[in-house]
Amino acid sequence: VSLLAVVLLSIGTAAQRLAGMFLLGRFLEDRPGLARLAELIPVAIIAAVIAQLTLARGQTLVVDARLFGLGVAAVLVARRLPLVVVVVGAAVATGGLRALT
Amino acid sequence: VARGRTGVTASVLAMGDPAAAAVPRRVDVLALSAAYFTVGVTVSVAVVGIGTPAWLTLLVAVTAYSATSELAFVAVMAAGGSLPAALVSGWLVASRFGLLATSLGLRLSAPPAERAAAALVSVDPNVALAIAQPDAPAVRTVYWRVSAWLVGGWVSGSVVGVVLGNVLGDPRTWGLDAVFPAALLAIVSGLLRRRDAALTAVVGAGLCLALIPLVPAGLPILVAVSGAVLGLAVAPRPVRGSGL
Repeated sequence: VSLLAVVLLSIGTAAQRLAGMFLLGRFLEDRPGLARLAELIPVAIIAAVIAQLTLARGQTLVVDARLFGLGVAAVLVARRLPLVVVVVGAAVATGGLRALT
Repeated sequence: VARGRTGVTASVLAMGDPAAAAVPRRVDVLALSAAYFTVGVTVSVAVVGIGTPAWLTLLVAVTAYSATSELAFVAVMAAGGSLPAALVSGWLVASRFGLLATSLGLRLSAPPAERAAAALVSVDPNVALAIAQPDAPAVRTVYWRVSAWLVGGWVSGSVVGVVLGNVLGDPRTWGLDAVFPAALLAIVSGLLRRRDAALTAVVGAGLCLALIPLVPAGLPILVAVSGAVLGLAVAPRPVRGSGL
């Protein structure tokens, strides 16, 4: 990862925040459909990233201890436990299963 | 002015802390700060894990201030995707912050420079707690108080993450590779209790998985964006039994 990549990523996030603060208020308020689309796009990407991090190894799909870890995380999230608990639970479950198998 | 108008604000709030009541209690703010500390550790371990030098890892943590953007970026790079693909994923994820800043902008009265600074540190919990306040001065005080705790947690977590990432070596040994998806799941969990978002997530994840063996790395995550269009077709009502 280069300095250029970091600068570009940061400019992109900052620009969207500033645009939201200074430009988009009235515009999006009058266009609820567009606002909802902008809200759903991150959900689609985050779900895809979760899927890839959990099931992909290079260009192949594999089921391994990571899926167990995510399952444990899902149960903890559903019980609305604090984030620290979710993260540690997933790590312990995944590392634990790996150590056993 | 904007209170009661849903559109931009109401649904975005579902992503933040549900306890957005009146003046936030100290213990809640501390818990949020601890959560940001945890995410900071997690994300910086991930960023160091793809071979980023410590100083750049800290720089991106402070300047991008977006755990989800960083993780999306890292996921594409780690899978062997191109830099443009990784950047676009990171930017698209950050559109969430554009919306949060929009919600805040409609309620925050302050000089332009302060509004700009406020926009740059906007994340889910500080915006949710601030715009739940009844009047403009309270919006401002609560926003900055919560922001200070969140930034403090995030930055100190990032420092710890950089150190840990270099000490731990291969994240797989400790089950740390499972930490990134778990943290992301926890971050979006509030929204996933809504039907349109849940459908979007399922379609996005499914598309990505189906494409991983077929197309170059990075592309599956970008194509997954189309799941959002399908989500639009569903009413944004709560999932049954989710308690919301």
